[in-house]
Amino acid sequence: MSLSLFARAVQARTYPRLVWMFRNRTWLLQETVLPVLGVAALAFMYSAMLPNDTERAKQLIGVVILGAAMTTFWMNILWSMGAHLYWERDGGNLELYIMSPAPMMSILMGMAIGGLATTVVRAVAILTAGVLLFDVPFAPTSWWLLALVFGLTMVALYGLGMMFASLFLMWGREAWHTVNLLQEPVYLISGMNFPLKVLGDLIGNALPAIALLLPLAAGIDAMRQVLFGTPGFLGVWSEIGILAVLGAVFVLLAVRCLNVLERKAKADGKLTVKWQ
Amino acid sequence: MQTLNTLRWSTWLGWQVESNWADARLFILYLVVKPVCGSLMLVCMVYAASAGFPGRVPVEFLPYIYISNACYGLVGAVMFGMSNVVITDRENYRMLKYIFISPGHFQAYFVGRGLAKAMEGVVGAAITISVGLMIPAVRSGFQNQGIDVFWLLTFLLIGSVMLWAAGMILASAVLNMSRSGMFLSEGIAGVVYFLSGVVFPVSVLPGWMQAVGMSLPTTYWLEGMRRAIIGPPPAGSPLAESPLTAWSNGELAAMLLATTAGLVVVSQWFYRYSVKRAWKRGKIEETTGL
Repeated sequence: MSLSLFARAVQARTYPRLVWMFRNRTWLLQETVLPVLGVAALAFMYSAMLPNDTERAKQLIGVVILGAAMTTFWMNILWSMGAHLYWERDGGNLELYIMSPAPMMSILMGMAIGGLATTVVRAVAILTAGVLLFDVPFAPTSWWLLALVFGLTMVALYGLGMMFASLFLMWGREAWHTVNLLQEPVYLISGMNFPLKVLGDLIGNALPAIALLLPLAAGIDAMRQVLFGTPGFLGVWSEIGILAVLGAVFVLLAVRCLNVLERKAKADGKLTVKWQ
Repeated sequence: MQTLNTLRWSTWLGWQVESNWADARLFILYLVVKPVCGSLMLVCMVYAASAGFPGRVPVEFLPYIYISNACYGLVGAVMFGMSNVVITDRENYRMLKYIFISPGHFQAYFVGRGLAKAMEGVVGAAITISVGLMIPAVRSGFQNQGIDVFWLLTFLLIGSVMLWAAGMILASAVLNMSRSGMFLSEGIAGVVYFLSGVVFPVSVLPGWMQAVGMSLPTTYWLEGMRRAIIGPPPAGSPLAESPLTAWSNGELAAMLLATTAGLVVVSQWFYRYSVKRAWKRGKIEETTGL
């Protein structure tokens, strides 16, 4: 595989996503105001529950803000990578991608990078709202540590996303519903809106321990420890170790899954089946 | 008769689209998992707020938000669902134009598809509430009074019309928009979630936001549904500081009826205008891509 071809394919697949941002500006509203509304509702919920304990309320609002910012990346993976292959098949592009000499991994990476542009805007909008509207104190113990946790989380998340995308080569209409199904349960076990320890306190440590196999859960928990100094389910360095291993495993599995499932999809004739 | 036929078949079609992508067991799991996980998140949030300090969060808070969230699922299912029908039928299945030129009644088609979504929403809400009854902190909210069946049916009936009218407005708007018009229904759902007192009483909002919230029919509907299921909040509770606490069930229902009537008038006018506009501009058969 030529690195030059890989890079050009990534650039080619990133380009439509970036150009779309300038041609269709409705995303500005969609990716800034709307997510802040949802987060604000949960922030007000904590404020309403704790009118006499603003310190605790702010801490929990910070948990919500960070969780919402990080889950935007999860949604990007589900909708802009995984489900997107399903839409590409409907649009007739998937067979062109397969026929082209560019590896599927480069196509997916291009989708990921293109989608990251709007995702980062959304995450920044949520974080900015958290600081300006809710006075959430963001004071990481170490910016380098924060960057390390964030970087490892992204590698592991997008590796997982590429694995999912390969599954979508095989699925029909169930792809849409599966993506829907993977939202709320993942939000719950990742502790999107509450500290992950709460799950352990409520129903035992088995579920949070399993949840840490999801890069989102480990990443959010570690970042909260670095940002807010609150105790996590495991220590920061343990969760960094988990993220590093997950990243390596998911990226390797993604390469394998893409090859195997692409071959299977070709054999089963799933690549060109539309509207199923 | 033709309208009824269209309604019957579009409801059947909508249910098939929603359900036949998987076998019955997987579909039931899907119906259960999504709303229940959403509600359990709220349970965990209440626990996080009260962690280590029993009584820090008023006990009536959890049943309040749990029931609200279960009922709000219906709002999302119908409003978001009806506009999603326009996008999927036009862009994915490319059959909206055939529905339009068929002898079937176009609006009844959307109503039927909305009904299928509503059925899914009702089942989801019922499952969520049933699971809630297994959680002691939620069950305690039902122990003050039994479910007021009369008011529950009243608010459900008026609310169904309200949700249909709101869904028709959104679907009509999306008819003249590209695929990315889905953000409109997501946005409206987000606004409703924020301003209608789903997870906190509207009294928590600043004054001007409260005024906007009080102009939304969904605010009255959610208040009515909560009262019918778990009764009004106890006197002295922070939840009782809502401006709607002083309203009787009859007044709530009357306001809901009045706002719904206005919404129906607007939806009918807007639907006719939007269909005509979409027809003239070729939007009914246009595929807009991403």
